[in-house]
Amino acid sequence: MTIDLFTQLLVNGLATGMVYVLIASGLILVLGVARIFNFAHGEFYMLGAYTTFGLCQVLKVNFFIAIISATLVVALFAAICYRLVFHHIRGNLLLCAAASMGLSMMFERGALIGFGTQERGLPSAFFGVMTIGNVAMPVEKMAVILLCVAIMLGLYYLLMKTKLGKAMRAVKLDTEVAALQGINTMRVYALAMAVGCSLAGLAGGIIAPLFSITPGMGHAMLLKCFMVLIVGGLESMLGGVVGGLVIGMTLSFGYYFLGGLSEILLFGIIGVILVFKPGGLFGEMVEEV
Amino acid sequence: MRRYSTKLRTKGVTLFIILGIIILLLPLLLKSPYQMHLIIMLCINIVLGMSFAMLFSTGLITIGAAAFWAIGAYASAVLVMNLNLSFWLALSLASIITGMIAFMLGSIIVRAPGVAFVVQTMVINMIVVQALGQMEFLGGWGGILDIPRPNPIGSIKFVSKTHYYYLILFLLLLTVVVFYALYSSRIGRAWRSIRLNPRLAQTLGINLFRYRLLAFIIASMSAGLVGSFYAHYFGTIEPNTFSVFKSIYIQIYGILGGLNFYLMGPTIGALMMTLVPEFLRVGKEIEPILTGGILILLVIFLPGGILSLPERMGSLATAFLSRIKRKESLH
Repeated sequence: MTIDLFTQLLVNGLATGMVYVLIASGLILVLGVARIFNFAHGEFYMLGAYTTFGLCQVLKVNFFIAIISATLVVALFAAICYRLVFHHIRGNLLLCAAASMGLSMMFERGALIGFGTQERGLPSAFFGVMTIGNVAMPVEKMAVILLCVAIMLGLYYLLMKTKLGKAMRAVKLDTEVAALQGINTMRVYALAMAVGCSLAGLAGGIIAPLFSITPGMGHAMLLKCFMVLIVGGLESMLGGVVGGLVIGMTLSFGYYFLGGLSEILLFGIIGVILVFKPGGLFGEMVEEV
Repeated sequence: MRRYSTKLRTKGVTLFIILGIIILLLPLLLKSPYQMHLIIMLCINIVLGMSFAMLFSTGLITIGAAAFWAIGAYASAVLVMNLNLSFWLALSLASIITGMIAFMLGSIIVRAPGVAFVVQTMVINMIVVQALGQMEFLGGWGGILDIPRPNPIGSIKFVSKTHYYYLILFLLLLTVVVFYALYSSRIGRAWRSIRLNPRLAQTLGINLFRYRLLAFIIASMSAGLVGSFYAHYFGTIEPNTFSVFKSIYIQIYGILGGLNFYLMGPTIGALMMTLVPEFLRVGKEIEPILTGGILILLVIFLPGGILSLPERMGSLATAFLSRIKRKESLH
């Protein structure tokens, strides 16, 4: 294997892996703080992609402004969903899962009616090939990786350094004690939902030039994210990062060497992790629901 | 007080008998084959929902019921088509094979309760679907076609949907009887105690792992049983029928009906989720939107499930009455 090929596969794996990382960390945030197992998460990702597409293609907005406004739209949408649906059944994992499944059904069909079944795509915002030494890399993929890393650093800053992040971590540890300290837990739940889902929306915007946009894209991505969760564990963001990268790399390298069997390899890795670390690489054994 | 309860009981028995007669004579009432098909699928869904509820009675939430349904269906199809076994043998063998696979998988995953178990069952479901799609000798993504009908018993040749209806009704009844016997036995009490408080149950000498594994195996066996029926009833099976989203639907059957009712809950929930979309066929385009909306409204306003409606009405009425009384006493 030449160094050129290796770098290509590495960049590909990193790019897809970082997208998984973004979406999965949103899922982990919502699950950890707001206690919602969000089956509609993939639909927020789809919504972000469609909003970016609409802004870019129809209103001719700059790509970056489109991504940012798509993120805000998805965040607002998620907050509204939280207030209308999940607020009334907060704390009950099963009911929230059922309600989010209802939301997912509504959104997917809504997108199908609203946007049609045809596949859509955006022209790329970055062109050209970057050469370092004698290794060529597409600029587009590098841009995706850099953007995702920047967003994850921003998320780290939000969770670790700001007051809101501190409140979120407190609520995740113990809701009642957090409320006793004067934290408005309802607000924190809604904000966690908004931040978590807007991460999915952001990822949708970032991949809009790379992949085709269809109403069913959310489901496929959600299944990938569940795999990320099982590799990395449900507890920590670090687990989400490692899990996302492992899955992205496995798919990228596996697809080149094994073709269609790469999915089986992926499931093999997941099976080994299931046997030896049932809670995921970075998860502890999760307590009873 | 005592007389009142016996009166209620006789009422219940009469209702039960009337319902039973209606269910038995249903093929006479429904003329179109499509309606019969719906009812047969409903029975399959009820059994799947009950298998979810059985795991829930031990405090485990599964999103992998469809995987065992698939294993049962594929096992039965292979046994009949490649080994030329009779359907009736394959039906029981498929259930046993599913149970054995559940035993192997269960002894790995049952150890991690809570959300981890949810995700693990979901991933197992994805693995099963993916593996079935990749295996060429099982038909790949196209699935297995032309699965033969069940072998005739006497003059019953399984040509019309009515024959299938009575067969699935028998399987449903078998499941209900076995599950009911289990729930009312020592095992069922152990399961419920695990759900209420696992640590307390453990101190009382209940082996959490073994009892949960038993529930996992029995629930999977019932799913495999109807899987075998489904394969021979429908004639074709393909991996995508058994996707994770089917499992999520199965979970919704249990939640909608009421999670504290292990047998009636899935029945009512499956009835809702199977028949309501059919009534909404008028707006075929927006049917999932309406179904999703109804699901959300039910979850918000009846968190205990549809079967908790009488109780909730009762508590609302009591609250209303006490408010009136309070007002009267103020005057």
